[in-house]
Amino acid sequence: MSVLTASHEEAAAKPSHLAIPAGLRAAAPVILLLVLGFLAPLVTVAAYAFATPKSFDVFRSFTLANFAAIVEPSNTVWTSFVWSLSYALATTILLAIIAYPIAYGLNRMFGKWAGLVSVLFVFPLFVSENVRLYGWVLFFIKNGVLDGGLKWLGLAGGPEVLYTPGAILFGMLYVYLPFMLFPMTLGLAMIPKDLVDAARDLGAGRLMIWREIELPLAMPGILIGMLLTFVLGAGAIAESKILGGQSVITIAQDIEIAFTYAQNWPLGSALALLLVVIVSGLALFILSRLDLDRILGRR
Amino acid sequence: MTMKISRRNLMQMAGAAALAGPLASATRAFAARDKELNILCWEGYNSAQVLDPFRSSHAATVKAESLTNDPTMINRLRAGETKLWDLINVNNPWARKVMAPAGLIKPLPRAEFEPYFDAMLPNFKAPYRWAMSDDGKDLLGMAQRFGPYSFVVNTDKISKSTAEEQGWDLFNDPSIAGKYGIQESEDWNVFNIFLIAGINPFKPHGEDDMKAFSATAEKVFKGAKMVGDMASLNQALVSGEIDLYMTGGTYSVSPARADGYPNLRAVTPLKGPIDGKGGISWIEITSTVNNPDLSPLATEFLKYVQAPEVAHTVAFAEGTFNPVSQMGNPKCFELFTKDELEAIQWDTLEEDMARSAEYDIVPDYDKALELLTAAKRLRG
Repeated sequence: MSVLTASHEEAAAKPSHLAIPAGLRAAAPVILLLVLGFLAPLVTVAAYAFATPKSFDVFRSFTLANFAAIVEPSNTVWTSFVWSLSYALATTILLAIIAYPIAYGLNRMFGKWAGLVSVLFVFPLFVSENVRLYGWVLFFIKNGVLDGGLKWLGLAGGPEVLYTPGAILFGMLYVYLPFMLFPMTLGLAMIPKDLVDAARDLGAGRLMIWREIELPLAMPGILIGMLLTFVLGAGAIAESKILGGQSVITIAQDIEIAFTYAQNWPLGSALALLLVVIVSGLALFILSRLDLDRILGRR
Repeated sequence: MTMKISRRNLMQMAGAAALAGPLASATRAFAARDKELNILCWEGYNSAQVLDPFRSSHAATVKAESLTNDPTMINRLRAGETKLWDLINVNNPWARKVMAPAGLIKPLPRAEFEPYFDAMLPNFKAPYRWAMSDDGKDLLGMAQRFGPYSFVVNTDKISKSTAEEQGWDLFNDPSIAGKYGIQESEDWNVFNIFLIAGINPFKPHGEDDMKAFSATAEKVFKGAKMVGDMASLNQALVSGEIDLYMTGGTYSVSPARADGYPNLRAVTPLKGPIDGKGGISWIEITSTVNNPDLSPLATEFLKYVQAPEVAHTVAFAEGTFNPVSQMGNPKCFELFTKDELEAIQWDTLEEDMARSAEYDIVPDYDKALELLTAAKRLRG
């Protein structure tokens, strides 16, 4: 009887030791959602990358054969990686140059029109990317809006740009502009006007103010914009398919082919995992080379 | 052993649930499945025009997911989704050559379904080869949509007779570089590259064949103006960007013809390397999935689409327009207007089908697809 009483007391005491903090309990639904919706698919893809090629033996087999197939000298899939990363890099650099003056204007020059200009840049995001790209096809296509319009005016007609690698770059610049512009605009909004005025009073020129004050203070926004654009650009596929007529094969398309026509999910997963590793590795490498503390103004 | 099996089942179910998401949860939500039906199909069967009357007459929840290639659909079943789907609609060889041997589909009651074949076009009379198992004992599915599928030309630029006579050799002509498109349909492109190289795609291939395939793929993809979906290719034909495209047939060009471009036409070569035939045709077979809890509505739906009015709706559902085997039934045929018959090229359908070999499985498809994908990368 006494033993029973003791164990009862122990049992009664235990819950207080193991009690889950109220915060964790409250966060449990979100944590569960993140684990199920975010982590589980990533883990599944990663696990598939190590499964027997052309099988569904996920979590039941372990092989490096998929990666071996990718790095085989006869396999030219590396060209797709190079194309995707090059396009992502070119898009990031060009958009940084294109978006900066617009972001500057939204903060400093457009005044009461800034809201309207922002809406104009946001508005296309409400329409599906594919629909917008098909719209550009109709614009550039032979006898389309541009070519037909110029001919109607008695001119020679538009240039043949559709289904070329240049059209892919154009599509990417168009689609990813908002992803660069808005973080950059927020970054530029972080610059106190007083600081610029003070620098000017102390004799700093326009270039020095830009280099020493504006650029460093806006850098968090610029960096976030560049990272977003690069990561999205590396996985781009619709631009090459719709505007580019597949004149270039991107890595996302190789992954799609592996998952569909090739019936080889493990190979597709290995390619996807490799892309994630390369893109996140490059992003982390670049971030590590930059003095984040200085850029983020913590020093 | 029991442990192993239950773990495997658990993994497969987890995989299927992760892949199918909402559909999987829907499946669990209904304990009895007599009011729900899940269909994995090519586009058309998922349209409201086809499904809504069935939904209301059976007070059922019908979900249909459309995909645009067979390998992906078969793969979904292989990945464990047999627990999810009730019907699968794919091209002819998959039922008897792949899905039935792999236990992914189950046979239909012959006595109940074979009479429907008697009302179909003459080529489909029971026992229809592609609807039967290899040993000829089991009925594995029902036939409905079909069509020739080789290439499409703008007859204002290349006449029908020139295209038919030259056949696949058109794509060997260097002067045509930059004037043609290729549909993003890699399984069919594998067939076509073999045919352009003068090789029967459905026979086992030696090293020389594969070398010829690779060289032809590089040349054909390099010379293509564009590779894209059929809507883009039809648009490019209409605008004059290209003069012809492969792969194409009534399936891909019929929407453009129905939109008022009868000059765009599916062409079947007069001759070729498949026992003299140069064209390839497809016939869809719809089968009941080997679902441990198969919905009783699956067989009901197969009967429902045989009715003349529904068969006509299936033929002209959204997306693409196609001939249906039920056109052998005069009550179904009379529902087709002159314009609809014109859109699906009824005037030459019989001869086009006669000049076409039926879609089959390429024995060395994996290797050929690898070579084709590598050739595509050289476009850049």
